[in-house]
Amino acid sequence: MWEIIQQILLYIGIILVVIGALCDLIGALGLLRFPNFFVRLHAATVGTIGGAVYPLFGLTLMTVACDFLGYWKWLLASGSFITALIIMITAPAGSHALARGAHRRGVPVEPKVCDFLEEDKGRGG
Amino acid sequence: MSVEELVKTVIMALMPIFGIAIALYTVRIIKGPNVSDMTLAVDCLSYDVCFFMALLAVYFEAPFLIVCAICLALWTYIFDLYIAKYLERKELGE
Repeated sequence: MWEIIQQILLYIGIILVVIGALCDLIGALGLLRFPNFFVRLHAATVGTIGGAVYPLFGLTLMTVACDFLGYWKWLLASGSFITALIIMITAPAGSHALARGAHRRGVPVEPKVCDFLEEDKGRGG
Repeated sequence: MSVEELVKTVIMALMPIFGIAIALYTVRIIKGPNVSDMTLAVDCLSYDVCFFMALLAVYFEAPFLIVCAICLALWTYIFDLYIAKYLERKELGE
């Protein structure tokens, strides 16, 4: 029974890791090709949450099935899980702080449709 | 194919994808017109290296590399907040 569960965890983990690698590549392409900073934040989210958090959860599931690591597999699984939790909590907070700082500094929003925050600041609100 | 061979084959197959992604992030770090763009690229690159380090820990069967990955993730968050504070108040703070 435990071997069947390990097989299932192994394949789910490998699928998550492969999806994470593809998300990482897509995020890198977006970060390179998008026009301004505030649009690049979207690609950065794909690169961090899709490219680091999902595959780390997948690595957690994958290492549980890796019997060739011995008892160290539990250290690897718990470490990957904690790293994924840390990134999942801190990456959006850091991105929001960076976006707020950049907007206050006056980083240009080049192809602009509307910017309500700038209008509010212009009215002194 | 045993579990060890399967896992190590998958990790070896994924390494070129991570290499390309790291190269693209590096191009954005060099090109970035503003400090905020460079910071965002360094941010993504650090999380990428963090996951890459976890993969290498499995590949080389060296589990202590995962401790470095946790420290790297926390350091990246502090770096983000530090740059954001500099951008907002134009001072480095205490």
